[in-house]
Amino acid sequence: MTAVVKPISPWKRRLNKITTYLSKPQNAILLALGIILTVTTIWPAFTIVRDTVTIHSGTVDTRGAAPGQVYTSFNWTDLFAPASNTARKLAQINLWTPLLNSVLLSVFACLGSILYGGFFAYLVTRTNLKFKKYLSSIFIFPYIMPQWTLAVIWRNLFNSNLITKGADGLFASVLGVRMPLWWCTGMFPSAVVLSLHYAPFAYILIGGIFRNMDANLEEAATILNTPRWKTFLRVTLPLVKPAILSTILLVFSSSMGSYPIPHYLKLSTLSTKYVELNVQRTGEASVLAVIMMLFGIIILMVNQRTTSGRKNFTTVTGKSGQSSVVNLGAGKYILSFVYILTTLFTGILPIILFAVETFLPNPGDYSFLTAGISGHMTTKWWMTAENVSENGMYGQKGMLFNETIWSAFGGTLLVAVLCALVAGTIGTLVGYCVSKNRRSKWAAYVNNMAFLPYLMPALAVGVAFAKFGSSIGIYNTFLLLILAGTVKYIPFASRSALNSMMQISGEIEEAAIIQDVPWWKRMTRIIIPIQKSSIISGYLLPFMTCLRELTLFMLLCSQTKIITTLLDYFDEMGLYAFSSGINLILILVILLFNALVNKLTGASIDSGIGGGDSK
Amino acid sequence: MKKFLSILLMLTLVLSVFSFASAETVEEVIAQAETMTNEELYKKAIEEANGKSMLGIGNSSRGKTAKETFIELLKGIDPSFDTTIEWTQPKNNSIFEALTGSNEYFVTLIQDGNQIQSKMLDTGELLNFVPLDWKNAEGVARENNENPLALQTLNKVFEFNNQGDKTYMNCWDFVAPDVHPLFMGVNSEPVGKNFLYMLTRDDYATVVKEAYDKLDADKQAIFAPTIEEMAAEAADLGLEGENAKYALAWIKLWCEQYQEETDDGPICNTLVDKSAAGQAGLLVYSKLRSVEESESVSVNNVTVAAYQDGYEGFGGYAYKHYMMIPKASQYPWTACAFIAYLTTTQEGFAAWGKDMGGYAPVPACMQDHSKDGGDEFPAKNDRGYDWWLNTGKLVVEDPAYCASVADTLGDFIDMIVGSKK
Repeated sequence: MTAVVKPISPWKRRLNKITTYLSKPQNAILLALGIILTVTTIWPAFTIVRDTVTIHSGTVDTRGAAPGQVYTSFNWTDLFAPASNTARKLAQINLWTPLLNSVLLSVFACLGSILYGGFFAYLVTRTNLKFKKYLSSIFIFPYIMPQWTLAVIWRNLFNSNLITKGADGLFASVLGVRMPLWWCTGMFPSAVVLSLHYAPFAYILIGGIFRNMDANLEEAATILNTPRWKTFLRVTLPLVKPAILSTILLVFSSSMGSYPIPHYLKLSTLSTKYVELNVQRTGEASVLAVIMMLFGIIILMVNQRTTSGRKNFTTVTGKSGQSSVVNLGAGKYILSFVYILTTLFTGILPIILFAVETFLPNPGDYSFLTAGISGHMTTKWWMTAENVSENGMYGQKGMLFNETIWSAFGGTLLVAVLCALVAGTIGTLVGYCVSKNRRSKWAAYVNNMAFLPYLMPALAVGVAFAKFGSSIGIYNTFLLLILAGTVKYIPFASRSALNSMMQISGEIEEAAIIQDVPWWKRMTRIIIPIQKSSIISGYLLPFMTCLRELTLFMLLCSQTKIITTLLDYFDEMGLYAFSSGINLILILVILLFNALVNKLTGASIDSGIGGGDSK
Repeated sequence: MKKFLSILLMLTLVLSVFSFASAETVEEVIAQAETMTNEELYKKAIEEANGKSMLGIGNSSRGKTAKETFIELLKGIDPSFDTTIEWTQPKNNSIFEALTGSNEYFVTLIQDGNQIQSKMLDTGELLNFVPLDWKNAEGVARENNENPLALQTLNKVFEFNNQGDKTYMNCWDFVAPDVHPLFMGVNSEPVGKNFLYMLTRDDYATVVKEAYDKLDADKQAIFAPTIEEMAAEAADLGLEGENAKYALAWIKLWCEQYQEETDDGPICNTLVDKSAAGQAGLLVYSKLRSVEESESVSVNNVTVAAYQDGYEGFGGYAYKHYMMIPKASQYPWTACAFIAYLTTTQEGFAAWGKDMGGYAPVPACMQDHSKDGGDEFPAKNDRGYDWWLNTGKLVVEDPAYCASVADTLGDFIDMIVGSKK
């Protein structure tokens, strides 16, 4: 007698399929993360898109609106299809000029950072340059510092009464040198400062490839009598192309969303225009934010087309068989000197100026240079214990006694720690789950969704979360800051984790599965210990970045909530002693944490960006 | 189970209806509060706020100091009183976004008459409260300070560095060729735009015209083409006053020439430095109070333009800090008491009153700053609100007027500023 097999209904078959799929932890986690990331990325983005068609009381989009009307297309038509000459001119001022400036600034920042940082990476990893260790450490200082601090330094160095009006900067007052206006404000200084800020990015990304590049190909070219320049152009450069592309994508989007540098150096970009328009043209400001977001999406698409998911942002493409060192001859001293000099201006001088500023009687008052230290330097910015308005204190206590500063510092630490924990954990899980589902479309979607916020300009993400936060009543709360920071910084951890997880052979985990070791134990006993350096980098980077983040957070909270908004407040108020002191504290804290983590785990800032493999 | 759930639902509904019915709206609280003395309001605040945590929001960081003395005051009345008030100061105009549709904040101290009028008052987002003690205060300046209720009027005055030969004896001198006065700009701090809006009001346009008439013929010839050019523009913008073209010409030149700074602090830092010879600026007067004398920096390097004998035209601009209550405030009684304390008592106003250049409508709240600089630093001797209003010819912000012209004049100003090289 043959057994009759009862057919399973399609519904039950589907259910079984789903149950089987979800029984694997990586699949269940992937599904949950996909939903969470979609909501936290799409919802804020949707809020801002909706804002572009919403009528805002007291702004221009109420023109022609009927009473009770809620939505309008005015904000789009006024910018893209202006009806009058005035509107056309305003569209040029409010949209097209800032857009062009933003794109040019991003392009120049990419070029500058790649040329300066990439060349430095080559020198450090592939030549016998002198003082490598010192230069390598000092080179990343501009990235550690809040980005606008170099802009403030630039102004303080080069402004002059004759050219920029106002008081003389250091160059004019001490050396009598007055730089032209194009040097002091606008595109040139903004591009230079952004390039300097992001050059460490290029150094870390490109340096990672240089460091691990197999020298056999170059040596083959040398044996074939190929000139050194030709070898560099035809062999070396193509090998670092993925890292250069990665740098371009990351620097482009970061520069596009940079607010403080163009703000301080007086360049009209989409970011600065957003803040200006928000008073009278709130809806049009949101259109600018949407445009910035579109750039993020375009960059993601370019990224997808130009590199495969596997190669994205990895600094290691395989273990090097051998590496060669190019002998620079006398150049090793000359180039070292050049880089020591430039890093002196970008790394050491700002710190010295920050420190000196905290002892000046008035902001920018360098009387002590001509009149001597006695009576022309002060400790009031540190030591004043009372709330006084006289003597330039503007009602603030000295930094050591200033509750506002220390409370903001506490707020920043809270946000940074929680962002790092949440973003690091989610990112690690994304990396793990995606690596386990390499061919799954859903995994690719989750991976992209996790990476997208990083390619979105920070201001656009900030705007989206500001609208989103206001709409659900969490504006000016730590929750909103942590949420925005987490979403924005998950990519640090997910990229780092994904690249490192890809390196782990599936057999290791399979052996544990055969032994019936539960998932959590496999993670904590096998996976995480093997790649702890990269995973810790995935926690460390959000932490460090959060500590000095302004653009993302500035629209989400009050000025005294966290240290960077407070720092910016003091800078804008002209209380440079306070902003300089805070900068010093921030730099010290970041260096301290970096050194501590490096000592304990071997991970550090420059080991995580774009790769996860420690040096 | 279904029955139980139905009963629970009904009960909840009934309770909700009753609680809504018995709750006073913020408007009702304000109506009652306006008939009460400060002492009565303080008691109401103690009843309402004891044991609670509240959040205030404002454009002035000094609200933080004021809320501390307010809590001390209430503790003096009832030693068991215990409350916390957090004071927050948002950035970049986000205060309006924060206040819209939010019930988080119990009170606000807010600036920018234009946006207050168009985004907050016209929409009912913020409600006005005028304390009884304020109305009854001796010598209170009710006109232009009552709706919305002004905590203080702050002046931004023309100053210049006197270390060179350059002098500024007329408000037109600040827009003369090659003069680039330091200014916070029209968008980073929107009260700067309100200043320009106000200039077009007939009375202030007349001040601008009269100052022009006092210029010598050579100087008049410099400005005349711009004034003529602006005659047609004034008609296009719907400005009907006969002197509007003078105001528009001044605005145009000012916007083309001012040098933008992030805040009045850096403007002050620049002007007091001897290297800034001849440089001029429009800045909050009280900034001079924070200068420390040194080899290259001195208050005496600066002259307040309007203090010069023979100065013609307006000497600066005055904007206001307003105290208001969000329509969804959860602690309206405390908000009323807080506002009454700040606007009617010297202790409440002390956080701002210690500075020159800030004037409360109630004279009893004010401190005397006429001798702050003495003979050593005459620029710091504040000549007082009446002097500034009548002799110094301050241009004073009027929210309703600003809101009425913002739509058209805003574009006019943005075009000029946006076209600057």
